[in-house]
Amino acid sequence: MSKKIDERIPRELGEGVLPMHAAIKSPWDKLMSYHDAAHYVQRYQGVISAAIMQAFRILVPDYVDRSKAICKNAYNRLAYLNRIPGVAAYQTTENNTHPFCAGNFPGAMIGDAGDECLLMCGRVNDFGTYRAEKELDVCYWDIVGSELCRSTTQSLQACADVQAELRRKGPRLEFHMVEAKGCGDRHCRIVAESREKYPMPEHEQWECFGPVATADQIKYTKEEDTVKESMIFREECGYRFTNGTNWERDPKSSVYPLASTSNGACYILPTFDDLVREGTLDADEVTRVLKCVCEAAGKAAFGEFYAREGLRSWLGVPREIDDGRVVGAYIEMYLQSARIPYDIEAFNKDEVVYTIDRMALSNRLNRMIDTYLAYWYGATKTLVSAEWSLWEDAEGCPEDKVRVRIAKKIDKFC
Amino acid sequence: MYKNIYKYDDMKRSEHMAVRTTAGWYLWTHELMEVKGADAAAFLDYVCANPIANLAVGRERYTTMLDESAEIIDDVVVFRMAEELFWVSTLFVNAMKGWFDTHKGSYQIEYENITPKWHMFAVQGPRSRDIINALVAEPVDDQRFFSIRDNRIGELPVKINRAGFTGEKLGYEIYVAADQADAIEQALNEVSPKFDARQVTEFQVMAWTLPTEAGFYYMRDLRHTNPLEVGLDRGIGWDKDFIGKDALLKIREKGPAREMVGFTVEEADIHINGKHLGGPGEAVCVDGEEVGRVSKIVYGYVKDTNIGYILAKKGSLKVGDHVSIHGHEAVITEKSFL
Repeated sequence: MSKKIDERIPRELGEGVLPMHAAIKSPWDKLMSYHDAAHYVQRYQGVISAAIMQAFRILVPDYVDRSKAICKNAYNRLAYLNRIPGVAAYQTTENNTHPFCAGNFPGAMIGDAGDECLLMCGRVNDFGTYRAEKELDVCYWDIVGSELCRSTTQSLQACADVQAELRRKGPRLEFHMVEAKGCGDRHCRIVAESREKYPMPEHEQWECFGPVATADQIKYTKEEDTVKESMIFREECGYRFTNGTNWERDPKSSVYPLASTSNGACYILPTFDDLVREGTLDADEVTRVLKCVCEAAGKAAFGEFYAREGLRSWLGVPREIDDGRVVGAYIEMYLQSARIPYDIEAFNKDEVVYTIDRMALSNRLNRMIDTYLAYWYGATKTLVSAEWSLWEDAEGCPEDKVRVRIAKKIDKFC
Repeated sequence: MYKNIYKYDDMKRSEHMAVRTTAGWYLWTHELMEVKGADAAAFLDYVCANPIANLAVGRERYTTMLDESAEIIDDVVVFRMAEELFWVSTLFVNAMKGWFDTHKGSYQIEYENITPKWHMFAVQGPRSRDIINALVAEPVDDQRFFSIRDNRIGELPVKINRAGFTGEKLGYEIYVAADQADAIEQALNEVSPKFDARQVTEFQVMAWTLPTEAGFYYMRDLRHTNPLEVGLDRGIGWDKDFIGKDALLKIREKGPAREMVGFTVEEADIHINGKHLGGPGEAVCVDGEEVGRVSKIVYGYVKDTNIGYILAKKGSLKVGDHVSIHGHEAVITEKSFL
């Protein structure tokens, strides 16, 4: 390995000389603003999650079976997380939840704040002991699949239910996603109702897409009144997220870490673990199918020549460079936008080598690193050429790092 | 669609009107910061805009707390429980602790979040005194507004506070040890039917419809405002030092830039966003220029119409003006709807 880093402007060059940018930058100093990086990471992870969902659909062909599995995992996982000592209390404090709020309706505030962090902008339309309603105008997860939409509803339910245990007993709202952008609706909409006040027939956990009893109370926001940005990026909000109980966040404290740690993969990959544990799926088969799907997704990402040209322009790639450095730069922009630490071991016309923080890259999800590697491998083939490859080079690599190598490679079995 | 979430809701209406016509009771526990020590009075005088040091034991005062730029960071009720012992009733106790930590300086005080130790039930409305008297050992007929006294309900020691957040002339709050809350709830359940009273269970009634009718503020209304803008300058201790005083004096001299006004919307089934649900609130425009934002919009069951507040540029809206808010006709009013 040459360990030569050439033909890129050092990261720190010029630091402090000119006014600082809140931005990430390519090896050739093209900047992407904090705002754009936040949006980019959300959509990037949405695309990866969509690929993972396709693997799920291959492994578990039945929609109901998938939905049951992912909803059950979502509820149990979030209930578990919220029962970790201090977590629910922290959320209660952060949201300025009043001690007199009996029941689980304050849980709606958790979802509201989380949405804003994930740049899923919209508005709360109702918030009361017996009914709550939240409407979204934007959702970066809307390409993943409706199974995910159902499961996120269950994660909201879990947060609300567990947090209610901290206060006096009161009415329980049942959360439904009555509209979903993932299903083609203009908005995502959660309507949560108390079955004491608004009785409805019982249903299975995965059937949390309505109907609801109070559909006539829905406040539908017309297209011309919708928003495109979260409060933190809107002047009319003073570039602050503020909820009804005066919980405030600014752009610095709102987006990260949630924007880079919460995504569709966080729902699907743990579901695979459940199904492997139950014996429904075989672990090796899961990994195999994931790799196949994600490799194809990566190849498709830059299969169209204008996608390739668009990326090159976005990165500011010099015209004469058409090798592994383009892939490296593409990956670096993602790692920076996701705030995943990495070091550059080599960056030259023959090879590019990164060592990436393993924990951050995995996001503590089983098979997440496999997913990225497969996707980036596929992307390498179309972004540069079939002569090039990308793989994990573990030899001599510290355990807490992932070494990714991009170089020409002949593989008779690829 | 847009069916009014208040107007047609018989449960909300009956809970709300019980407070207005007989009585309603509800869990109304707020957060409590206990402040004690030789300098407790002086410290609270410093962190609160209104005077605290001159409170008699057993009396309380509503006051704002300001930051250095005179922005309201909290509105609280401060009780003088004993000569060197105070309770501060708030909904932002963790922020308050941080604030006290920052400003404690050399004041000889201790402060503790005692919220877990107490629950509180509000009993509000024309028959509230009858209900309290039916429960307690010592009648409360002579108890003055904004006073708190020890008492007993059965064998349970309680504190009875004459106050409320509903605008009713008669209203009380029962403070009880947290682990005895069930007993008080049971007692209230048993007694209240005798006085045609009922339990209020809906958050929107406790926190929004009742107080808004009375012209009271709730949380989001006051965020990033100063007392002069929102009419909370009455009683400010201008002759004492307090955090934010210098900035507030400048604002007083120049005049506040904004004011809070009331409004009604007669049309029932509307879609107007208020800050009380988060976000910036619906814009209010006059001749194409934005003059304010809707602070909250709820329902006034007494006048049977939508009611709310707008934080607007001073002088831009006067009582009686008609404006269009998100396509719905609104009339500007005083900020009280009783």
